Amino acid sequence: MLSSGIAAKLQHNRDRAQGIGSHEKAVKFLEQDFKALRQECLKSGKLFEDDAFPADPASLGYKELGPKSAKVRGITWKRPKELCPSPQFIVGGAIRTDICQGELGDCWLLAAIASLTLNEQVLARVVPHDQSFQENYAGIFHFQFWQFGEWVDMVIDDRLPTRYGELLFVHSVEGSEFWSALLEKAYAKLNGSYEALSGGSTTEGFEDFTGGVTEMHELMKPNPNLFKIIQKALRRGSLLGCSIDITSSADSEAITTQKLVKGHAYSVTGAEEVSYQRATAKLIRIRNPWGQVEWTGDWNDSSAQWSQISDEDRVRLTNRSEDGEFWMSFSDFLQHFSRVEICNLTPDALSEEDTKKWSLSKFDGTWRRGSTAGGCRNYPNTFWTNPQFKIKLEEEDDDPDDEEVGCSFVVGLMQKNRRRLRRMGEDTLTIGFAIYEVPLEFVGQRKVPLNRNFFMQHESKARSETFINLREVCSRFCLPPGEYLIVPSTFEPHLNGDFCLRIFSEKQTEFQEMDNPVESNVGEMEITEEKIDSTFKNLFGKLAGSDCEISAFELRRILNRVVSNRKEVRTDGFSLETCRNMVNLLDKDGSGKLGFLEFKILWSKIEKYMAIYCQKDTDHSGTTSSTEMRLAVEEAGFLLNNPLHQIVVARYSEADLTIDFDNFVGCLIRLEAMFKIFKSLDTDNSGMVSFNFAEWLTFTLL
Amino acid sequence: QFVPSDPPPPRRPLAYADPNETEEEKQFRRVFQQLAGDDMEVSPNELMNILNKIIAKHSDLKTDGFSLESCRSMVAVMDSDSTGKLGFHEFKHLWNNIKKWQGIYKSYDADRSGVIGADELPAAFTAAGFPLNTQLFDMIIRRYSDENGNMDFDNYIGCLVRLDAMCRAFKTLDKDNNGTIKVNVQEWLQLTMYS
Repeated sequence: MLSSGIAAKLQHNRDRAQGIGSHEKAVKFLEQDFKALRQECLKSGKLFEDDAFPADPASLGYKELGPKSAKVRGITWKRPKELCPSPQFIVGGAIRTDICQGELGDCWLLAAIASLTLNEQVLARVVPHDQSFQENYAGIFHFQFWQFGEWVDMVIDDRLPTRYGELLFVHSVEGSEFWSALLEKAYAKLNGSYEALSGGSTTEGFEDFTGGVTEMHELMKPNPNLFKIIQKALRRGSLLGCSIDITSSADSEAITTQKLVKGHAYSVTGAEEVSYQRATAKLIRIRNPWGQVEWTGDWNDSSAQWSQISDEDRVRLTNRSEDGEFWMSFSDFLQHFSRVEICNLTPDALSEEDTKKWSLSKFDGTWRRGSTAGGCRNYPNTFWTNPQFKIKLEEEDDDPDDEEVGCSFVVGLMQKNRRRLRRMGEDTLTIGFAIYEVPLEFVGQRKVPLNRNFFMQHESKARSETFINLREVCSRFCLPPGEYLIVPSTFEPHLNGDFCLRIFSEKQTEFQEMDNPVESNVGEMEITEEKIDSTFKNLFGKLAGSDCEISAFELRRILNRVVSNRKEVRTDGFSLETCRNMVNLLDKDGSGKLGFLEFKILWSKIEKYMAIYCQKDTDHSGTTSSTEMRLAVEEAGFLLNNPLHQIVVARYSEADLTIDFDNFVGCLIRLEAMFKIFKSLDTDNSGMVSFNFAEWLTFTLL
Repeated sequence: QFVPSDPPPPRRPLAYADPNETEEEKQFRRVFQQLAGDDMEVSPNELMNILNKIIAKHSDLKTDGFSLESCRSMVAVMDSDSTGKLGFHEFKHLWNNIKKWQGIYKSYDADRSGVIGADELPAAFTAAGFPLNTQLFDMIIRRYSDENGNMDFDNYIGCLVRLDAMCRAFKTLDKDNNGTIKVNVQEWLQLTMYS
């Protein structure tokens, strides 16, 4: 894609505003359009060959499956039609026997794929049905994944890695159904190679296939209401997985005495209460995706407990739909299992009316060094510069028997992999968030970010369990109705990163970013000839030379001479570009030079900016810090929002995040000039200005 | 007091094998890595140093050297994620353009003056891919050439980099290709302040 600077970002935002990246309008990965490519192949009669993920060793891996590794010897790429007489894409819905692990350590992926077979609606979102080996077959298939906040449509050819005529990786038991193998290849292409799949978390798999937000519950110190949370999640159609931690890799898939498999991804399919021995017993139903090897402890299929509960309960609970499924008591479950992962699905993933759906709000944001990467609460000087989001919780949850009164919501902060193609592996940051209660005097206020003092005087009401360098940090909260502020951040300040903040709440909530509007309150400076004192007139006469006009070149000489004898400001001199800006800002008669009055106005502006600059330079370093620049810009009369603060720092600060005097003045002069041009062009005051190509170049080549 | 917990074991690295990188691209990546340093990104300072090293070797390119300010501007118009630095692909696009325009500069400096005079500029810019009308050329000369209408090498490159970026910005925002674009004040400031 032709990289075209900030314009590419603006167009990206505009596309998102029109719904591109939603499931109906998925983003085309590498601009490959499935229907167009298939049509081309059908017309030319050639089977599709994908050069973006070619059938060669590099697509297999880079180390264990790298081109020189023994593990890849003898591998050839074959299309399903070369492997069996009549290959099928998907037959009678996806069932667990379609997913058998191959030579790749991606059992976490199997659990995520297995979760797809649980829910037809969720499966259809990832595995589109408009493709097959019979009708319109052209050796091309496509799948859709959720990536960092948007749905991506991934096109692949159907050449699969095989050895001795057998599929190397995921395959179906009877070998003629290929949807799972093709899905794995598409997911490998998304992550760069097959080997990139050999180690990941079920959570990530759940999310990449559903776009949901996954809560992780460690069973060592479980949430007291975990049983109710699981019941609610099941009622809401969420996908639940559970697993037993392995202590060493030899342990993986080891089977305990009571037939539980370690390091294996189970699914949770039910949670019920029954009256048993004059008390209510909590039971939980678990499914082993292998379809066999079941728990042999209390409440297993043939245990005595079943005979001691009411017939009505027994009928309700023992309608076993598939083997490999078993009940166990919730207390045994907490003792034997290590973790439960609950993937809450987005509302649009669930169409049945009966399931009470979560409501989802989503925001994309950025942390940038020196402007919006404030670090966590331990860094009070910069913490307030992080992006801030306000959430308004109105109604409490509607099941009164729930002990905790309040509005429950799940916050998921996910960091985006900004440099997707970085060669040295993922650069994940340590991230987390804090939640503050918005005090009464700010409630319902204009959505303006709260400043440094607010955070110094107020303790956080709640916060993410921890700061950790995972792809997503997710925590569940239950707070009384009111307005709250969520501040996502990296642990240390000044680290560049992009994030996607998502809020899942049981009830509709209002959720918005707290950011300034973009305004300039700098008035026109009117100066008349008489008011100027004579010493200034003589100074101008000397400087302007014969034509009594000052060009950008002359202005540069003048300014650098003046500034060099002002010790309180540090500068490496004004550049010609800044002087050109100054002339363009004030040159009323288009002569490309400054007359006497125009120069006087410029002079008073520079003096005003110098006063602000020195006042902000509290440590007398002769420079102002990038964080102070935000306050200085406001004092100079400009209101900027986060994206623009980021630009000011990226464009005008030194490597050590300080801003020297000429850049300080250059920035403010250019800001004023650009605001002025926009206002003059926005004749109907609509807030929008349109340009044709020639106009655009005229105004941007300044 | 916020305390980070220790990170989990490193998960699957996302190292990409670039299967179809040509020999020329591999050689270019070495140039980039050596220039960009360990943060794998090119800052305005790094850009200034490499450009000034190059022009020192070409006596037929008259210039008073690339200023940090113009390098800041060149990085800004190419940088799509407001980090103030250039990634590999952004830098490659800039680098290839500068080499191409350097060749045009030499062949269109007809009088061997080492600068592009006001009369030589329209033909040179058209050859560089920017066939503008005389009114726009006059504006460029007034803004970028010196007091007697001559444009030295660093101003020439600075102007072309900006011109190229603004043309591509227009095409990017004019998605339905009807020849006009509309921007609000924030977008206008993002495009003009970050340039």
